[in-house]
Amino acid sequence: MIARAAGVYLAIFVLVLLALSAGAYAFVEREYASLLAPALGTPEGASALAAAMRRVLLTILTIDAPLVAVVAAASYALARATIAPLQSARERERAFAADAAHELRSPLAAIAAVAQVSRVDAPPQSRAAFDSIVQSAFEASSVISDLLTLARDPARRALQCEPVDLAAVVAGSSRRAQPVAIERGIRLEVSAESAIVDGDQRRLTELSRNLIDNAIRHARSSVRVASRGNGRFGEIVVEDDGDGIPPAERERIFERFYRRAQDGSSGGLGLAIVRWIADAHGGTVQAGEAQGGGARFVASVPMHA
Amino acid sequence: MRVLVVEDNAPVAEAIRAMLEARKFAANVVSDGEAGLDHLLRRCYDAAIVDVGLPGMDGFALARSARADGVQTPILMLTARDAVEDRVAGLNCGADDYLVKPFVEEELIARIGAILRRGDRHVLAAVEAGGLRIDLAARRVTFEDKPVVLGATEFRVLELLARNAGNALSRSQIVERIWDYDFDGSSNIVDVYVSQLRRKLKKIGAAGVIETVWGVGYRLKA
Repeated sequence: MIARAAGVYLAIFVLVLLALSAGAYAFVEREYASLLAPALGTPEGASALAAAMRRVLLTILTIDAPLVAVVAAASYALARATIAPLQSARERERAFAADAAHELRSPLAAIAAVAQVSRVDAPPQSRAAFDSIVQSAFEASSVISDLLTLARDPARRALQCEPVDLAAVVAGSSRRAQPVAIERGIRLEVSAESAIVDGDQRRLTELSRNLIDNAIRHARSSVRVASRGNGRFGEIVVEDDGDGIPPAERERIFERFYRRAQDGSSGGLGLAIVRWIADAHGGTVQAGEAQGGGARFVASVPMHA
Repeated sequence: MRVLVVEDNAPVAEAIRAMLEARKFAANVVSDGEAGLDHLLRRCYDAAIVDVGLPGMDGFALARSARADGVQTPILMLTARDAVEDRVAGLNCGADDYLVKPFVEEELIARIGAILRRGDRHVLAAVEAGGLRIDLAARRVTFEDKPVVLGATEFRVLELLARNAGNALSRSQIVERIWDYDFDGSSNIVDVYVSQLRRKLKKIGAAGVIETVWGVGYRLKA
């Protein structure tokens, strides 16, 4: 990151320097030519001008070379001075998020464990209450995991990449979402076509699962899930037959805790995580309209070379 | 069955004790790493549940010291962190399994059961085939003492082939075992991994160890 910024600074300087040098050279050449105008017709005159211009070029280069070296060092120092504090702030932020997650999960573990044990001896009428305590502790814990993910840069180094077949990702995540779909009376149609991408299997499964869960929440009766290759990209496509997403909101729904105008319901962090995972893979995710008016999400990640 | 619980968060420790006792395990709770190590060194436990974030000596250090002293008691690590690096760190320092907090009672019990069974059975430490040595505990592969660095899935594919050395495995058998998925269409994910493995193995001189069996799949030389 520092090297890249320094490179940009240096490139700008070199461009300016080249323009100045070329301008100076052209100016000197014109002046010499007009001074020597009377003698230019003779061979001596022409060769004197050429020799003089060679010296001019040499002088310009001897001035330019050390300048470029000095500016290279200066731009590296400048880039470092600007970026290093940013990087360390980011690092502190991430360490803070990891520590906060740890500190929050420990009491949640206590709440969940005690509630599970207490449930056993509880009178039947309060068992449901203990169950909901346990469930809430797990929900809070998964929000913490999501926040921890979102606190990190969406970069490849945050992933464990290897060749992954999106067909296995789509099939695996649909199978795990099946109980939720059945509970809500939603039919899940899966069409898993092989598409081998370079990716993190666990993260891609999470991406697919979040899209499916989101679709199940908004569908009327069915959700279609597919994987396929599309040129240089492998795609995961999830469509529902719900009310769809108005065009104005199609970008904003990927924001953290974005509330939909339609019903005020919060998507939580699910779609923000989807975007994070797609970005980290060097891919994209887009919301659009399915045939019949429902929502359609397409996540694309680069194919395995 | 006696289980040692090393956990500094008292409510969690007591809840784990109650969960274990409900299944007729005898549970003993200690709240710091040094005491935990003392108890483990007495070797009177069938399994241990160890929290990573202990005051003083942490769970990783405890597991490492216990293993260094030759303690074979299976260890289940409990942690409030779920980063992949932390999981790997836990397994590398000698823990047998890893559970993220908060946890579900049934899962805790199932995992304790699993590491106890593993203790009974003779654990296969390494597989050797075709001149390759696949160290299952250290997750290391060597050919004539030359190591090769493999990704997690590459390792699992090679391990599967090695465990069946001399026999051909079909692509769909490999897919089912590694990806837990039945490809009804066609996928060349297995070929992608085999060609990567061949390329890496060739670099350490183990060319031709994985053979193609036409019309069937792949076979590792016995």
